[in-house]
Amino acid sequence: MNGFSMKNVMKKNVMTIALFAVYVLFVILAGAIKGTNMLDPSVVTSLIEQNAYVFILGAGMLMCMLTGGNIDLSVGSFVCFAGAVLGLFSVENKILNEWNAKPCSVPVVLLIVIGVGLAYGALLGFLIAYVRIPPWIATLAGYLAFRGLGTQVLTTASTTNAISNFPKPLLAIFSGKLFESPWGQLNIPCLILGIAGSAVVIFLSLKSRATRVKKGYQADPMWFVIVKCCLIVAIIMFLTVEFALDGGLPVVVVWILAVLIIYGIITEKTTIGRHFMTVGGNAEASRLSGINNKRIMFVAYLNMSILTVIAALVVTARTGAANAFAGQEFELDAIAACIVGGVSAYGGAGTIVGMVVGATLIGVINQGMSLVGVDQDWIKIVKGLVLLGAVVFDIMSKKGNKKQ
Amino acid sequence: MSGSNALKFLRKYMMIIATVVVVFVFYFITNGKNLYPNSIDALISQNAYVFILGTGMLLCILTGGNIDLSVGSVVCLAGGVGAIMMRMMKGIPGLAWPIAVIAMLAMGLLVGLWHGYWIAYVKVPPFIATLVGMLAFRGLANIIMKGEAVEVDNRAFLNIFGGGSDCYIPDFLKFLSPNSSLNVTCFAAGIAIAAGYAVFTFVNRSRLIKKGYKVDSFPVVIIKTLLISAVVVWFSYKLAGYRGIPTALIWIALVLGVFAYITTKTTLGRNLYAVGGNEKATRLSGIDTRKVMFSAYTLMGVLSGFASIVNIARLQGSTPTYGVGYEMDAIAACFIGGASAYGGTGSIGGVIIGAALMGIINQGMSLASTPVNYQKVVKGIVLIVAVLFDVIMQMKRKGGKKKATSSSAAQKGGANA
Repeated sequence: MNGFSMKNVMKKNVMTIALFAVYVLFVILAGAIKGTNMLDPSVVTSLIEQNAYVFILGAGMLMCMLTGGNIDLSVGSFVCFAGAVLGLFSVENKILNEWNAKPCSVPVVLLIVIGVGLAYGALLGFLIAYVRIPPWIATLAGYLAFRGLGTQVLTTASTTNAISNFPKPLLAIFSGKLFESPWGQLNIPCLILGIAGSAVVIFLSLKSRATRVKKGYQADPMWFVIVKCCLIVAIIMFLTVEFALDGGLPVVVVWILAVLIIYGIITEKTTIGRHFMTVGGNAEASRLSGINNKRIMFVAYLNMSILTVIAALVVTARTGAANAFAGQEFELDAIAACIVGGVSAYGGAGTIVGMVVGATLIGVINQGMSLVGVDQDWIKIVKGLVLLGAVVFDIMSKKGNKKQ
Repeated sequence: MSGSNALKFLRKYMMIIATVVVVFVFYFITNGKNLYPNSIDALISQNAYVFILGTGMLLCILTGGNIDLSVGSVVCLAGGVGAIMMRMMKGIPGLAWPIAVIAMLAMGLLVGLWHGYWIAYVKVPPFIATLVGMLAFRGLANIIMKGEAVEVDNRAFLNIFGGGSDCYIPDFLKFLSPNSSLNVTCFAAGIAIAAGYAVFTFVNRSRLIKKGYKVDSFPVVIIKTLLISAVVVWFSYKLAGYRGIPTALIWIALVLGVFAYITTKTTLGRNLYAVGGNEKATRLSGIDTRKVMFSAYTLMGVLSGFASIVNIARLQGSTPTYGVGYEMDAIAACFIGGASAYGGTGSIGGVIIGAALMGIINQGMSLASTPVNYQKVVKGIVLIVAVLFDVIMQMKRKGGKKKATSSSAAQKGGANA
């Protein structure tokens, strides 16, 4: 019925193909116009490091959007606030001096920040799921309040309106490189990890196909699985070599992978993940089939806040400072990544892989255009148009499907 | 029965009561500074854009809780265009201000048509379409202004649209009382409006009685009319004690008046409510819902253009960062004023209250020298409390008839899909 056809594959992966094409285009353009090598290890590493927060926040936003196109506008402000709290308790500053307190140790600080995230997430989830305040009003209030609170903490704590000089151990958990090797150009542990990762991908793909065949499900032809594996392995190895040449695996990549894998499994393989989609697809039907819709909504926003805290830690560690402008427009980046990645704006449909492709596409456009020397203002316009194009494409292709 | 009446009363007038309470609280905190004539005057000119954008946002929200995130960027873009047109360039004088004004409105209209097309006819979700606008038009504004501030020094323009020190209606009734320190025109206008309002109320009431409609009892009407007239007279007295009627006030009143009329008395207005109330039913009853959505966003665009005029006049110029966060102010004003986040309910009167309440709180806090950052926090809290109040009241009104639906947000998403 729904046989394997190249056309379907292309249709499904159009954004991935677009990403690939755009990347190649910018590599050529950057080389030809500015003589910059976009394949340079440091450039590739910075692409990933700069967009780390988009991947992390995107995963949370995906969960919110799945429940019915609901968004969280407060993530940017909360990144700022969580960063400020992190600085407040981990670095000596005016507020701590006033309280006659010493900076806390790293684990305590982390517990405090995560606690703050949980508290906000629970409050937000409660207001949205149980009091039924529309999500974007509740998060709009958070957007206003936390930008103000965060800025206030920072301006009171420091004369420069920013807190830096974070303890090294804290920074090392969220930034820097894993296994910095003193020997040679190429970082061997990073390579080994990359090869191991590739092996796992190949093993899982083959195993999943074998299971499908055994159970009598329709499976992709063997050659296609092999080609797909090859492509994925090529991407993994490309990144691995780039990282290895740039001094090792960035710590932040571990965080990104952890988040993406966990949420990939949650959305694809677990009951609760399915419930998110059911609520977004048809809330009434989901309720009647015994799903606790309120709890799902609550979890979505609680979860978003936890991921926001992780994003805040990653961003603060990367810049080495908590400042009042941290996190501005992060919510928009996360939403855009989801939308470009094919997540339905009405809920019920969307995948982690799609979100990753969307986030990377926007990241590549950003980086590519600035390397080519395009003005920031034009980048904004192009970003906007890409977003619009992705949605219109989505709508059009759905219309086309219905007609058939 | 009396209990439910009290509830009804509270629900209807809660925000007005809150506003009065807030005014009194700040009166004591700031030693009365918040009611100085110049404070009242500043309240109007500083918040002019909130009233105007809030009006447009209300139209969008009425159609089903749809918002426009791009208004801040559009204000910046249209303002930039206008400021550049009026600027003197290499000795050549800038264009006449009416041309610039038309250009700014046209710019807003174009943006409105662009959004309206994508939202109404292609069915792009409004928050995405306007998010695109927010990014793209901010970029475009920066490109047009080349990232620099552009000054506006066209006196006529500034005076007419409320910038500088002369942007007040001249006191042409001064001869009536030459020795008074008050601005006679302003005070007279206030009294005239109050009287006009009173006459209108009673004429309208007797007309309704004649037609057999149910009306409020006579004492209630008298008290209500007296209160409103008193507020108007007091307001004009305060303004008269400063420099008179700010021209910005005239424009705000004009916009609010026109759109109060549109939303309550015209077919388009009724259709906005209908679409927000039940889109499917509206479509099935023969109304082109696409056209209604299209109109809402087109009007929002034009009003953004208009807000940009008032904005560059007050700030006497335009910079690429103007308008950041305006969309949030406009949205907050609507919700504090009781508009439903799911569409179908809301009024211009509510927008006025919402915008005024936020403005009063902001101003009171700055007069009490509260750090600016806390103002944002308070804004957020006020927003959430206002909506919370609305939600709880609605639950009570349903009389415990717990419609055991899931979170209504999720439900709405499901219905749309």
